[in-house]
Amino acid sequence: MADAQSLRQLVLGRKDVQDLSDNETELPPDLMTVNMGPSHPAMHGTVRIVLTVDGEKVVKSDVQPGYLHRCFEKESEHATYTQIFPYTDRLNYVSPMINNVGWAMVAEKLMGIGKDIPKRAEYIRVIVSEMSRITDHLTCVGASAMELGAFGPFLFFLKGREWLYELLETVSGARLTHTYVRVGGVNKDLPAGFSDKLTHTLNEIEKVMVEVEGLLNANKIFRDRMAGIGAMTREDAIATGCVGPIARACGVDYDVRKDYPYSIYPEVEFDVPVGTHGDCLDRYLVRVEEIKQSIRILRQCLKQIPDGRIMIDDPRCALPPKVDTYNTIESMIRHFKHIVDGIKVPAGETYAFVEGGNGELGFFVVADGTGRPYKAYVRSPSFVHLSTAGQLIHNHLIADIVPIFGMINMIGGECDK
Amino acid sequence: MSTTTPPPQATPTPDAPPPTPPDKVTLVIDGHSIQVPKGTNVLEAAKLLGIDISAFCYHPGLPIVAQCRQCLVSIEKNPKLQPSCQQIVGEGMVVHTTDPQSTLARKQLLEFTLLNHPIDCPICDKAGECTLQKLYFEHDNADSRVDTPKVEKDKAVDLGPHIVLDQERCILCSRCIRTCDETSGQHQLDFAHRGDHEVLTTPPGEKLDNPYSLNTVDVCPVGALTSKDFRFTMRAWELDATPSVCNGCATGCNIEIHHKNERAWRLVPRHNPNVNAYWMCDEGRFTYHDLREERLAGATVEGLPAGWDRAIKAAADQLAVGRSAGQFAVVLSALASNEDNFALASLAKAWGVTHVYVAGKPPVPARADGRLRVADINPNHAGVKAIAEALGLQLKPSFELDPAIRGVLALGDVMPGVEGDRLASLAYVVLTSHERGPVKHAKVALPIAAWAECAGTVTNNKGLVQRMHAAFPPPGQALAAWEVVVRLAQATGTKLSWTHAREVFKDMCAAVPAWKELTWAREARPLALRFAGSRG
Repeated sequence: MADAQSLRQLVLGRKDVQDLSDNETELPPDLMTVNMGPSHPAMHGTVRIVLTVDGEKVVKSDVQPGYLHRCFEKESEHATYTQIFPYTDRLNYVSPMINNVGWAMVAEKLMGIGKDIPKRAEYIRVIVSEMSRITDHLTCVGASAMELGAFGPFLFFLKGREWLYELLETVSGARLTHTYVRVGGVNKDLPAGFSDKLTHTLNEIEKVMVEVEGLLNANKIFRDRMAGIGAMTREDAIATGCVGPIARACGVDYDVRKDYPYSIYPEVEFDVPVGTHGDCLDRYLVRVEEIKQSIRILRQCLKQIPDGRIMIDDPRCALPPKVDTYNTIESMIRHFKHIVDGIKVPAGETYAFVEGGNGELGFFVVADGTGRPYKAYVRSPSFVHLSTAGQLIHNHLIADIVPIFGMINMIGGECDK
Repeated sequence: MSTTTPPPQATPTPDAPPPTPPDKVTLVIDGHSIQVPKGTNVLEAAKLLGIDISAFCYHPGLPIVAQCRQCLVSIEKNPKLQPSCQQIVGEGMVVHTTDPQSTLARKQLLEFTLLNHPIDCPICDKAGECTLQKLYFEHDNADSRVDTPKVEKDKAVDLGPHIVLDQERCILCSRCIRTCDETSGQHQLDFAHRGDHEVLTTPPGEKLDNPYSLNTVDVCPVGALTSKDFRFTMRAWELDATPSVCNGCATGCNIEIHHKNERAWRLVPRHNPNVNAYWMCDEGRFTYHDLREERLAGATVEGLPAGWDRAIKAAADQLAVGRSAGQFAVVLSALASNEDNFALASLAKAWGVTHVYVAGKPPVPARADGRLRVADINPNHAGVKAIAEALGLQLKPSFELDPAIRGVLALGDVMPGVEGDRLASLAYVVLTSHERGPVKHAKVALPIAAWAECAGTVTNNKGLVQRMHAAFPPPGQALAAWEVVVRLAQATGTKLSWTHAREVFKDMCAAVPAWKELTWAREARPLALRFAGSRG
């Protein structure tokens, strides 16, 4: 009997109920170790947390990223600067346009042409960046609400995201992996009627926002699950290097678009929302407000966008027009060299950064004068934010991991680089 | 923030500058002071400083003609621009390569050169390793200001057995003409007509058929001369280059294997002033075809496929009879590397054999021309001799095979002077990369890597030991020959073991007095031609 019982115990990992003695039917006072992830419905991306729980309370956690290692940095050493754009699409794949812009900016800074990008190209970059920021926040907020049981807002928000994706598809040709921005400008001009379509879409999204805010903001369940959960102090946010909506929810007034203005952001008006508590509810509110600010930026951009070139007139980085490529040997050679050898970026090293969906997204590149980076490093906000996750979930319930993780908005493609 | 390091400035020394040695000359190029041997030209001196003055007609292995004018530089106190390839350095000379005058000259020259150049890059074999493409992109990169129709010339002109000429692509640098004169001594190419009708051609009734003709394809800075063998087979920028040594004859020309998808696509010469300078013969270039033909990919026993374990056991059994009676021969190969021969010779010595045989291809006296081509078409006769001598083994040619022999352990697929019927009657075990010739008589055939597939060394007719690198893995189950020898040794209870060609090499160098000082070079990483720049 003893053998059979211990065998069952071995298989079950615990005693069966009928084998328990009376004093054992109480909950065990020992700590328990459980795995969450790497593949778990509530884990954004593939990340694993080894939890030590006391009942339902997390007393210790070990957050282990790296399951989605994409070799972005190493692959970049073997690809030309232009060929790296598709790789950046896959960093934060919810807002790829912003990553495109960041990568273009680092190459332009090294070539010293950052100030010469045509105005129209800069406006287009900001338009697609802000559209991406909206899709990023819609996804983050919608998915988090869904994970707390609010399935409706998720569907509403993804409906809005889909409108934007469709528009971005008309711009770039791809719904998600755009590869639209180029060193020196953008790939092609905005399609006809884009302005009207975007204006209409923004109006529709505003209606969706009203609907969803009505469903969530005063919702008792939602507030109970978000308010006071995963709070971080302003000091901690700064000490750990948090940026973007997470840092702003803690009251850190840092936005690359305001503090290190790039592109045409100085020419548009917008506000940077900040929170006070630094908890999940503040992160939610900051993101919702940023969507509204992005809509505001987009409306200004559509009004102010000038006509003109969308690519710098510099043979070092602009591909010649197709008609010339086929008809003159000079353009043929230039086209060939751009494609096969890549854009020649002068030797040097530099860091360029943009405000990504999750905060400061930076690229540090060491160039050796060839068509490929000698070394490329990406400062991805998700990686930094994930490093705080262990602290944030400490002393919370297991169920609270879900909103905390949702609001950190860790994107595997960006975190694991 | 950008932290581009400024180029080092030539610092003026307040004290007297260091005295120039009598055989050297001090000059200043773009602000950098440099000492070079007397008689150097300005272009080479600049190259030592890392300044790449553009040039089409200049080639370090050819006479200088200063014909393309692409390398013009300005020299202080000289009113006109000078061709840097022809200008010999002088004491105190001050050269500028980036001043407006010479920059403009380069730009305008390129504009002229491209005037009649066809828009062929997508179908041109040279694209990706083209000097014209490279220089245009680096030094001009501007649109043409001329809108006249291009002069049309002949395309796909058959110049000879190996070469096709596209006269439109030719930029008339005359490198190929000088290459024919230099490598073969035969003046088979020249220019005809004048002005923009000038074309490269063979004299009437002549063919470009000298045994070194394909060197003209290598030196061509554009895609005017293309090899029939390589034409339209593979884009140059997709290839990887691995350094090796030609196995076509005893000269041992240094080469690069250009390979992709575990397959060699062409062989090109690699510069070595002591052996082949910049050249190699056409026959040597075609030896790569053999790497894909009639290969033995798996071991066979009595003509049927067998796994390694069974084949090694069968080989040991076959050899056991002859070995115990002392009627047994080991045949080394003049076609195999030093390491493979040393491993087999060591096994023979461990088995108590007193003399070994060597097999190789019979010499071709008609080949010898006093240049690179020699009569002995085996790459490693000298190495086999040195190894046998060092191990105290008497070396005999294979046709002197003892009539009493009952068992043969041979390396390689040639066995001159031994009848097929006789081989078939012997316990014949062969380590071979190819399945041909005497291999069909073998009781056991063990597959080995060919020369391009394993690391090793060969010894040329001057006794120079040269390193070959593995470009791609051998087909099927084939292993390096020394590794098969080790397996045979272990199956026969002989104490012999290596785990890497480097270890075989180390033991071999310890055994051969003349090779005491040799060291094993690091494995060469294949170089992607895409990022290697122009090769023209």
